[in-house]
Order: sequence, then structure tokens, then C-alpha cells
Amino acid sequence: MSYKEKNVAVSLVTFTLILGFYLVQVTRIVRGGGLSDNVFGLWATVVVLGIIATIILTIIAHIGFAIFEVIRTGDDDPKIDDSEDERDKLIDLRGTQVAYIVSSIGTLLAMLTFALGRSPYVMFSLLILSGLVAQVLGDIFRLVLYRRGF
Amino acid sequence: MGKSRISNNIRKLRFYHDEMTQEQLAAKVGVTRQTIIAIESAKYSPSLELAFRIALVFDSPLEEVFSYDPKDDPI
Repeated sequence: MSYKEKNVAVSLVTFTLILGFYLVQVTRIVRGGGLSDNVFGLWATVVVLGIIATIILTIIAHIGFAIFEVIRTGDDDPKIDDSEDERDKLIDLRGTQVAYIVSSIGTLLAMLTFALGRSPYVMFSLLILSGLVAQVLGDIFRLVLYRRGF
Repeated sequence: MGKSRISNNIRKLRFYHDEMTQEQLAAKVGVTRQTIIAIESAKYSPSLELAFRIALVFDSPLEEVFSYDPKDDPI
């Protein structure tokens, strides 16, 4: 597994956990009385979590990979190849395309709920959900391309 | 997705060139070792520029390094 591939795997795990947290919290809110102002805190939490978790886990992954390379090679200053070549860029682009398509569909569906008379809270909740699902599916697609090729 | 329609002799050429490793070839052409692995196993078709760089490393024409079989092309 290349360094970039490992980063994608870390991103996938991170956003899957955030998606799971979001779904649990939204379900709890809906069962507790429906969507209202109480979702604002959840949205803020998810956005901040996404940013902070990505940064922290990327740093931890960097440190973890370095430690693993030191143990594996016995070298005090192992060379970690974190460069991005044409294949990495192409895979990243394909993954981003998938994420954009999923996110666009999710956005349209969210707007459709509002157009059909649902509350704006439902629309914004679906917007956040589609963003998270788009990120997860984009990362899954990237890993599939890394493993199976194209 | 899956197998590329362009096959290559990179593994054989590496062996004939002082048993060059994938890492050495990757360093010479400016890509990662994983990309060389993907090219050798036909999981990735390199760009034209990368294909020429690889051929240059082996001092061989492009057709000796890469080959394309039209029978494999569904178009």
C-alpha cells in the first residue's frame, strides 16, 4: 500500500465514523421530537469534527507511518515516499468526480424536499448527509481504483 | 476498471538491465514504486510522457517496451 493509499484509507475511516455519529444523532433528534433548532449544534459539530479530525488523524497517520517504517527498516531516518505522481493525481481526480456527482444528487434531493413543503431543517440535514456520503463514496472509489486499477 | 489493454515487457527489461529494482526504475522516471507495480501488472496505462521516459531508461523504442493488441479493444 502506498502512502497516498494509506491516507485515503485514514480519510475513509474518519468520515465513516463521522457519518455514523451524524446518523445516530439525527435519528435521536428525530425520535426525540423532530428536527428543529436543536440540529444547528449537530451541524456545527459535524463540520468542526470533519475539519479537526481530518487534521489530527492525518498528523497521527504521518507519525504512525514513520514509526512503522523505522521499525520495519531499522533505519533511524526512513525515507517515506509521500510524493504524488500522475497515477495518484488521476485516482484523486476520479474520486473527486464521484464525490461531486453524489453530492450534487444529494443537494438536488435536499432541495426537492424543501420544494415539496418539508421544513428547511430537513433540507439542511440532507445537505450535510450528502456531503458526508459523497466523501465516503469518493474515498471508497479511490481505494477500488488503487487496488483494481483502471 | 481492471486490466489495461496495453501490455508491457518492463519486468523482463528490468531484469536484463542489471536486475534493476522497481524502486530504482520508479526513481529514474519520477513516479512511485506502486505506480511501476501497477504498470507491470497492467492495472494502469501510463501517460505518453511516462511511457517515453520508461523506454528511455531501457534505451529501447516504445514498441519494444509497450504493446497494444486491438483484439482486446471493444471499440
